[in-house]
Parts: sequence; structure tokens; C-alpha cells
Amino acid sequence: MLVWFLPVFLVFLMIGLPVFFGLLAAPGILLFLNGQERDLTLLYRNLYNGMDSFPLMAIPFFMLAGEIMNRGGITHRLVEFSQALMGHLRGGLAHVNVLSSMLFAGLSGSAVADTSALGSMLIPAMEKQGYTRRFAAAITAASSVIGPIIPPSGIMIIYAYVMGESVAALFLAGLVPGAMVGIGLMLLIKLMADRYDFPVASRKFTWGERGQASLKAFFPLMTPIIILGGILIGVFTPTEAAAVAVAYALFISLFVLRTMRIGELGDVMGRAGLTSAVVLLLVGAAMSFKTVVSLSHTPQMLAEFILTLTANPLLLLFLVNLLLFVVGMFLDAGPAIIILGPILGPVFVGMGVDSIHFAIIMCVNLTVGLATPPMGLVLFVASAVSGEKVMSISRTILPFLAVEIIVIFLITYFPAISMTIPRLTGFAN
Amino acid sequence: MALLGGVIRPISWINEHLLMLGRGVGIIAIAVMVAVTLLQVFCRYVLNNALPWPDEAARFCMLWMTGLMAPTAFRRGGFVAIDMLALALPRAAAAILNIFLMVVSLTVLVFAVQIGWSETTGLGGRFASASLYIPTAIDFSEWQRVPRSWMMASLLVGIVLLIMVNVELILRNVAQLLGVTDLPPIPHADTQGAE
Repeated sequence: MLVWFLPVFLVFLMIGLPVFFGLLAAPGILLFLNGQERDLTLLYRNLYNGMDSFPLMAIPFFMLAGEIMNRGGITHRLVEFSQALMGHLRGGLAHVNVLSSMLFAGLSGSAVADTSALGSMLIPAMEKQGYTRRFAAAITAASSVIGPIIPPSGIMIIYAYVMGESVAALFLAGLVPGAMVGIGLMLLIKLMADRYDFPVASRKFTWGERGQASLKAFFPLMTPIIILGGILIGVFTPTEAAAVAVAYALFISLFVLRTMRIGELGDVMGRAGLTSAVVLLLVGAAMSFKTVVSLSHTPQMLAEFILTLTANPLLLLFLVNLLLFVVGMFLDAGPAIIILGPILGPVFVGMGVDSIHFAIIMCVNLTVGLATPPMGLVLFVASAVSGEKVMSISRTILPFLAVEIIVIFLITYFPAISMTIPRLTGFAN
Repeated sequence: MALLGGVIRPISWINEHLLMLGRGVGIIAIAVMVAVTLLQVFCRYVLNNALPWPDEAARFCMLWMTGLMAPTAFRRGGFVAIDMLALALPRAAAAILNIFLMVVSLTVLVFAVQIGWSETTGLGGRFASASLYIPTAIDFSEWQRVPRSWMMASLLVGIVLLIMVNVELILRNVAQLLGVTDLPPIPHADTQGAE
């Protein structure tokens, strides 16, 4: 009977119950009806213990670092740097948009922050150069999904915590897929630029000018090196690296670039705290949910059911990608990972898929879901920033989504793409 | 209708001010979290002497930050949900659906507050934290370990605040159903999730 918690949960989700309450209500009702009232206490304990975690603290820290960098005008420096490198190409500002997203991804790890920060700067600039507003909004939304793929990444921290994986391994596994999404988008822009005669953003910068732009962007660009380098050489835990990223972002915003005032700190911390509190509660509820997933033997039953459909792992991976893509159309990546990770992870790991590889498939697929209609979060942010309708951005983004889907299948069927760096550095077997 | 408005306004005022206080404490908690984590890194690498308490102190602050700030996000519509159905329904039907969803949420919270109370005041709460101490004498000559219940109370307080917000939101939806419009507005949340 306990296995009915899953359909009950889905019904709650579809009618609009907040995910946090659904994660507790569905298993709670079934435990109650099953005469297991004592296990309700177990749900509560796991909710509390799920939040009481030092590694989880990386989430508020990275969010705070991202907020500070956003407020501190660091985005501006990254765009200038990208323009110095790629502005002279045909379709220059579209290339700059993608490259800035890749660089921004190394600082914040949030697609929403990427869309709002880069979009507010680049969409008007692109429009002024003759791009349509919907194209500018679409490329901003499409490239912003690189944010949570290239480390640091909030959703990877959540996945690692809920599924007991190494944060560092996931961070490293996301590097190449993130770069592939960026390069794929740039290749498509090049094809479109030649065909539709996109404008050149600026004259070709001299190497001296490029050096100057690099110097101006030096401090922001050092952030990912400090974070990843610190974790890789074992100086920091990911949580400590996130705290160092906060201190570093504060230092350069307040004292080096002097683009932020101390008076703004309260507001910045308040915004980061509000978002983190919601995420942390969700993660705690996910740990409760996971308990009932285990008690009900859902992964085993699901695995048996799936194997009756097909035993071909390639086909199964195709099907799981399809499922994740559909889920991503309606649900944000974080909650989707929290819900589906404990159910699907054990099934596929049991079938021989490497746990880190599966984690990356999930994270990349659900992150791309942030830009898919009808409920893609970044589509709404891009719409708010640009003033363009969601529906029109949704149509224009389709070719870019096609590129991202190709990348998803490449990383699914060629595990070496994501697994080589974690294996070479000893973070995965 | 005037009666309903008269009930909602004081609840709204209390929630607004309580949550403002919660956000203030939450902001301090974040600052302390960052500071003690950095202090630990400094002590470990510069002074070569790792401290025993910063990890637990940071967790203490994170739990209280969550308990005190999540209700604000809930009140401002910042809890993640698929709200397509409510958006597709006519206004009255959407309000009825919202009331149903809020009642389900309230049921969860009422169960949680009962369990939370017995957990916080029960055996688990009587254990002491591993490394956090507070002075029990003015001259700091005596120290006592912080009871674990002080950490566990963060979730309990958070749930109580969520119940207060939930009651307000139910009443607001009933008011909307009945056509009461002159209620103090709630600012929209600016939360974005981990994405």
C-alpha cells in the first residue's frame, strides 16, 4: 500500500500543492492510513536532520557569492572581456552572450541570475544592433542553462547531498558538458550569422586592448580558479570554498572594483537567505521523502517494471532522458532532482550506470528543462527582463534547445565526456 | 465581509512584523555562518589549530536562518509549485482550489508542530551539543553546553510561523472569494531556487 505515495504525490503536485508540502503530505497520509503513525516521527526527524548538515551550507554561501557579484557589477567586466575576444565576429554580441554565460557560470552557478544579470545588459544592446528582441532573449535564456552545469552549481550540491555523492566529482564532471553546450550554441550562432547576416559587434581588438580587458576581468575570473582549485588540491571542503568565494566576492566588490557599498549588504544577504531557506527546507523534505521511497521498495519495483519493458540499457537511458525532459518542462531542476534522484538513481546505478555519470545526465537534462516551454523558469525571467512574450521566446529558442538536446544525448552515450576529468583527478572510479 | 477584513488585518500586521524580525535575525545568522566558516579556514591553515566549534555554530545559524526566513518566502508565494491549474481556472474556482491546497498544507503543519514539540522537548532535545558552550556566570567562570533542543527549536519555530502565515493565506483566499479587495498587499517573493 505504501507504494501509493507516489501517485498521491503526483496528484498533489499537478493540482498545485507546493512541492515542500507534497513531499511530506503524500508519504504522511499513506503512513497514517497504513497504521504506521510512529513513522510520522521518522519523517519529522529526517526533515530536521536533512537540513542539519555542514556540506549543505555551500548552497546559501554560493547563492550569497552570486548575489554579491551580481550587485557588484562584476557581470559588466565579464561582458567587456567577452567582447574583446569575440565582438569582432559576425554575430558578435550573440557570441559574447554565450561566452559571458560560460564565464558567469564559473562564478554563480545559477541560470536565473545569469539570465537577469546578462539579459538586462545584453538584450537591449543586441536590439540596438539590429537583432530582434525575441532572438536576444532566446539566446540569453538558452545560454543561461550553462550556469548550473559548469561549477559551482547549486543543483549539483543538492544532488550530491541527497544521493550521497561527492560534490567535487560532480563539479568536475560538469566542466566538459558545460563547455560543450557553450561551444554548440556558438557553432549554431555562426551558422545563423552567415545565413542571416548578423551584425559585427565591434572592430577587432588589438592584443593590447584584449590584455587590458583581461586585467579588468582578472579578479572575477579568478573566482572559479579559487573555488575549484581549493577543492581539488584539498585546501577547502566545498562548503569552505563557498565561504571563501563570499569573502572574495565581497573583497573585490567593496575594495577593488568599489562597485558596492556596505549598506547594500543587508539586502544582498536577505535575498540570498530567503532563497536558501526555501531550498534547504526542500532538501530536508526530500530526505523525509527518501525514507519512504526506501521503505516502500519503490526503486526495486520500478527497476523490475522497467526491465519488463526492455533490458537494453541504451534504450533505457533514452527513455529516462525523455522522462526527465518532460518533467523539466513543468518543474524546476532543484525540486525535480530532489523528487526523482532517490527514485531513479538507485535503479540505473543498479543496472551498471556510473552514479556520477547518471547524476550529470540528470543535472544537465533538468537544467536544459529550465529553458523549455511551457514552464521553463528562465523563459519567464528572460521575458520579464526583455519585455518579450514567453510564447515568442519559446518559439525562437527551439534551434538552441535542439543543440542542447544533442549535447544531452552525447553525454548520455559517451560517458567519457563527463567522466574523464573526475577519473583523472581521482574523484571517481 | 467587514468582519473578515477586520480579522485579516491584525493577523497580517502581526505576521508582517514577526517575519521582518525573523528576516533580520536570519541576515545576522548568514553573516555569522560566513564569519565562523572563514575563521575555521584561517585557524586551520594560518594558526595550524582547527577549532572544534565553528562547524556546529554555522549549522546552528543555518537552521535558524531557515526556520526564520522560510515563512517569509511562503507568505510571498516563493514556495515552488506547479500553479498551471490555478492559473487556468476561473478566479473563483482558483480561490477554492487554493483554499483546499492551503488546508492540506495546514494539516501537514499541524501534524508537524505536534511531533516537533514532542521531539524538541523530549529525550532528543535534552542531549547537549557537541561543541557549543554558553557562559552561566557573569564572570565567564562557568560554562554549560548548549542543549540540542536550542537547535531543534529552529524547525519548530519555523513551523509555528508557517502555520500563522498559512492561516492568513487561507483567510485572504476566502476574502478574495467573497470579493473583499481592500486588504494590505503582500510583496511578491524574489526567490529563485537553486537553479
